[in-house]
Amino acid sequence: MFTVRKKNHSPIFLITVFVFAQLAWMGLLGLWIHWYVTNYLIFVKVGEKLAPQMVIDSPNVVIFVGGILLIVGIATIMSLIFRNLTVQMKLTRLYDNFIANITHELKSPLSSLQLYLDTFRTKEISYEKKQEFLKLMLKDAYRLNKLIDSILEISRLEQKRIAHDYHVHRADDIIRKIIDNSIERFRLPKSVVKITGKAEFDCLIDKEAIQIVFDNLTDNAIKYSSNSVEIEVNLSANPKNIIIEFSDIGIGIASRDQKKIFNKFQRLENRLMPSVKGTGLGLYRVRQIIKYHKGKISVFSEGENKGTSFRIELPVYKPTRKKYLESLSGRNKNKTVLADGN
Amino acid sequence: MEINSFKGSRILLVEDEESLAVGLEYNLTDEGYIVDWAKDGRAAIKKINSNEYDLILLDIMLPYLNGFEITEKVRLKSPQMPILILTARTSAEDKIKGLEYGADDYLTKPFHLKELLLRIKGMLKRKTWYNHSTGQQRKYFFGNNEVDFENFKCKSGTKTFLLTQREAMLLKYLLDNKGKIVTRKELLANVWQISGEVETRTVDIFISRLRKYFEPDPNKPVYIKSIRSSGYLLNDQNEIQ
Repeated sequence: MFTVRKKNHSPIFLITVFVFAQLAWMGLLGLWIHWYVTNYLIFVKVGEKLAPQMVIDSPNVVIFVGGILLIVGIATIMSLIFRNLTVQMKLTRLYDNFIANITHELKSPLSSLQLYLDTFRTKEISYEKKQEFLKLMLKDAYRLNKLIDSILEISRLEQKRIAHDYHVHRADDIIRKIIDNSIERFRLPKSVVKITGKAEFDCLIDKEAIQIVFDNLTDNAIKYSSNSVEIEVNLSANPKNIIIEFSDIGIGIASRDQKKIFNKFQRLENRLMPSVKGTGLGLYRVRQIIKYHKGKISVFSEGENKGTSFRIELPVYKPTRKKYLESLSGRNKNKTVLADGN
Repeated sequence: MEINSFKGSRILLVEDEESLAVGLEYNLTDEGYIVDWAKDGRAAIKKINSNEYDLILLDIMLPYLNGFEITEKVRLKSPQMPILILTARTSAEDKIKGLEYGADDYLTKPFHLKELLLRIKGMLKRKTWYNHSTGQQRKYFFGNNEVDFENFKCKSGTKTFLLTQREAMLLKYLLDNKGKIVTRKELLANVWQISGEVETRTVDIFISRLRKYFEPDPNKPVYIKSIRSSGYLLNDQNEIQ
């Protein structure tokens, strides 16, 4: 079905309108000054004629300054409206992209499921083939479920309604375990991922949430590698933070785009790797999860084709830091588990 | 059960979704086609350059080279190659873009297996149509234009170009019915071999492509005229046989 195409004004058009609006206001300001000065002289002349006993010593400063302030105020309001509109337009564009991407991501497994159902309905299929198709159907159903879950979780994360299941873990052990799970999930050979360094401190984390973080980073490393995949994870720690550096040798990120990648709905087109599928929610979700753990995440890439490094900092868990624990559990009234997860 | 007279036709399936590709490969093979599967744009171009195919079934969102770029490259090499785009991208813009790049048909996901198989069969009917058309009359002339339906070569004034299979079929149908109003449904049934209830806008896009080739001013057509709420009419007043 065809839809009606929306009329989108280009940024150049909007900037031109804005510049003309400003010129109009400046013109108005000039006119106001001109009118005031001209009329002041008339007032003085007429005043002298009609009432020579009245002496006008100085122009009426209140009216003059008041007029200028009014016009400047209107111009400022216009600038603010323009700025907000620009932000709004950018958001709308990102949202439209998100809808297009999510539709694609939902329809792909759905069409596969429909194809197999059609096949089962219309064709005689051998037992072995049936089993193979059922396996693929289950995989599609799992993919749909995962996608729907991620969308719902974003909404819960934003509304601070998520129930995190925090446990105390030995950072070194748990991070290695989580990365091993990601390797298994993405069916990567073990030799592809190298884990170095040590982080001999405890941390308080929701294992499932941190698994989502590393699954996302691994998925990106695979999707954005044009040749072979190679991942290096370096663990280190200081008395305050556990530091995890996750690097790949993929197509990298241009420096101008590095700031944008954690934005909601953000998708970056790369000429080295066009048409990479995704929703634009993955890294946004990663950042939200790390934020919930009172941590930080940043990205670094020397540029295109030079790989990407993510640096995650998670606070070291100290049993005496009651306030810290309370702040985490306060966000998590529905589910608070603070036992040793090892 | 109807016998498939196009058994043995070679189809290149370009799809990066493994699950869907496995199902499509099974069904197309079951229909008697020989299927070759390319998982990304680069692999597809490699296969197209080294093999002969009767039809390409193409996704748009592909790694390395997208479906539009592949269509463009294929059209440079083989203007008559039937291309069916099968994609989850449903916007009008994408559809128009796909057809403008030279695809012959566009089916959106999720789709019905029966409809896909019918469309493929319809596209493969080209050989029958081709033999039939060349058996009757090979060259057609109208206005400043010359069309050779044996090799799809055209001349419009000093310009020479090649038509795609679908464009040639559409033009041939209009020429065979010159002076008569041809409805969009009729064109869909006879040129696309699909039900007229499905997206008649596809016809409009192909008509606009023909106008760009043959009309002196595509905005004021003199040969292929639109007849309000009816369809199209190929004006034979300027025809010189």
